[in-house]
Amino acid sequence: MTAFTRKNADKPPMLVYDKVRKNYGNFTALDGVSLHVNAGEVVCLIGPSGSGKSTLLRCTNALETIDGGEIRFEGRPLPVADADMRKVRQRMGMVFQNFELFPHKTALENVALGLTTVRKMDAGEAQRRAMALLAKVGLADKTANYPANLSGGQQQRVAIARALAMEPHVMLFDEPTSALDPETVGEVLNVMRNLADEGMTMIVVTHEMSFARRVGNWVVVFERGQLLEQGPPQQIFEAPTTERTQEFLSHLGWNG
Amino acid sequence: MNLDWSIVWQSRWLLLEGALVTVLLTVLTMLIAVPGGIVLALMRGSHFKAVALFATAFVELFRNVPLLLLIYWAFYVMPVLTGLGLSPFATGLVALCLNVSAYNSETFRSGINSIRKGQTEAGLALGMSRSEVFRQIILPQAWRRVLPVLASTWVSLFKDTSLVSVIAVGELAHTAMQIRSQSFRVLEMLTAMAAIYWLLGYPQAKIVDWIHRKYGVRE
Repeated sequence: MTAFTRKNADKPPMLVYDKVRKNYGNFTALDGVSLHVNAGEVVCLIGPSGSGKSTLLRCTNALETIDGGEIRFEGRPLPVADADMRKVRQRMGMVFQNFELFPHKTALENVALGLTTVRKMDAGEAQRRAMALLAKVGLADKTANYPANLSGGQQQRVAIARALAMEPHVMLFDEPTSALDPETVGEVLNVMRNLADEGMTMIVVTHEMSFARRVGNWVVVFERGQLLEQGPPQQIFEAPTTERTQEFLSHLGWNG
Repeated sequence: MNLDWSIVWQSRWLLLEGALVTVLLTVLTMLIAVPGGIVLALMRGSHFKAVALFATAFVELFRNVPLLLLIYWAFYVMPVLTGLGLSPFATGLVALCLNVSAYNSETFRSGINSIRKGQTEAGLALGMSRSEVFRQIILPQAWRRVLPVLASTWVSLFKDTSLVSVIAVGELAHTAMQIRSQSFRVLEMLTAMAAIYWLLGYPQAKIVDWIHRKYGVRE
């Protein structure tokens, strides 16, 4: 077997997690996690519920603070000061399991809000950008809809457009299809696959093993706050090195 | 029984003036107590313990003292404590604002807390500041949820303004009572007063019902 070379392995990684620790009271959510993500990679975080993958994602844009170790983004540790962290967050898009669209705003307003509020862009220009992004995720005809009048899959696509509006360098997906009806999962995964094809750096917490297998460039298996195993999808799904990974995958009905 | 309703018609301009003062008191109280309630609610959620404690003490004090007592207190004690010589109208307004701000604070607090945490996180993830998140995302949503409660508070307040008549504020109740004691037309004036309050209050209550239907729980 030839050695697998990761994308952009010759360049400094975009994100580095160095022995990251996170506790909730007595519970250790992240127990010294070390990992890196290169530019243009789609890194999929898989593992049982409560194993720490979402926590790691939330620590990445400082929605949660870490208790030990370090996270470096584009060569610099995440800033402590709130104002500095806000600037970093603009370079990280985040998509939530429950979409978290703003229910009092239309699809267009949801996408434009970051541009007008954070970027101080004028309303007309922000609208044009938002319109283009909604078209990109296939929702050009839904710009005036409120979230309550969109299906789950449509809401999640608006949420992706909202995150893309800030022109992030990396997109963080926190179980983006877990709250969706089965029939709308595909449309969201398609949008994500297109993003990956365009070269977007993505970290995806997911239970969609076929997405991790086909779209992921690097798969990380979590258990109890630790990295069980990481590697290219072929290795993880076809020749997992640990028994626990095999067990986890067979639980999900994955047979290679 | 010998009734003479003409006293009501003769007093129409005085009663109208009283009614206008009642409406003015209600409007001014709400104009102050709505932002006041928001500020108190934010203070109660502050990370600074002293600020949160002050707001909690304020709310628990003024919410749990009878409004009538508060009005007397504002009239007799406040000038001594503060050295301010306010008119009865301003004094009544202060008492009403203290009471209603405390109530509104609790209304806003529950409204704000009912917006799930993910909404704040979605705003922060875009790079918004906490105050931008509050103004753009949390408050507009909380506002819809608390509107029915605020509307109910409004209707209660409209009737409760009659309590400031005890410190001689010339609103509707005080005016009617004055005319009653000068004319000895007790039954006529009390009935007229009830009718005016009802005629003004009923449409407001109906509007509140409409607001409840329009803005009641929806997600």
